[in-house]
Amino acid sequence: MPAAPPANNQLRLPMGLLGFEQIKDYVLLVNPAEEPFAWLQVESNVSLAFVVIDPFLILPGYQPDIPQSDVEFLSVKQPKDALLLNIVTIHGPNRATVNLKGPIVINRHTHVGKQVILANAAEYSVQHPLPVAKAS
Amino acid sequence: MLILSRKSGESIVIDGRIHVKIVRVEGEVIKVGIEAPADVPVHRKEVYEEIQLSNQQALTRQSAPLPRLTGTTAQPRPPADQPPARAARKPSLQKS
Repeated sequence: MPAAPPANNQLRLPMGLLGFEQIKDYVLLVNPAEEPFAWLQVESNVSLAFVVIDPFLILPGYQPDIPQSDVEFLSVKQPKDALLLNIVTIHGPNRATVNLKGPIVINRHTHVGKQVILANAAEYSVQHPLPVAKAS
Repeated sequence: MLILSRKSGESIVIDGRIHVKIVRVEGEVIKVGIEAPADVPVHRKEVYEEIQLSNQQALTRQSAPLPRLTGTTAQPRPPADQPPARAARKPSLQKS
């Protein structure tokens, strides 16, 4: 692990994502035309990616209860040190959902992240519908 | 797998710090009480599996077109004076 934080948008998820434990290195790609969505691209295979979204942009009342063990693992000292990204599933042109139970929490300084299971996961859906505009 | 028989009210201790107690047995439902330190996450297995499945469904090709979202909080282009949530996100991981 580098001593200084990386200067680019590279991310390391030492535990991978649930179901993809072996994939640990990602690049966060933000295209202004596609916001509020962003891409979490697999570094070793650029054709593979997850669509992610900052949950607070779509759900200002989202109150993720992040387990203390994860806060310590990520060395996050205060909320503003953490970037939250939730994984979006595109089901088709008219349907997209976001996983609110298991956000990816990233330490903005170290660029190390982890997909956590919220202590209050029972309050949220793994397929929360996003307000998709009808395809024109 | 270690298999232990327990009666209602009896417990198992793991690593000297995690206590698993059979609180009550009601037909097919067994109520289990778990006492563990704050640094030991305890979840129903279904939650893990649900998130795992969701991740697998979400994996996509980067060329996939993204839908547009409706609603004021999710506009692709917010006005010049940005809402706090967005301002907080600005430093994100994008360092120029």
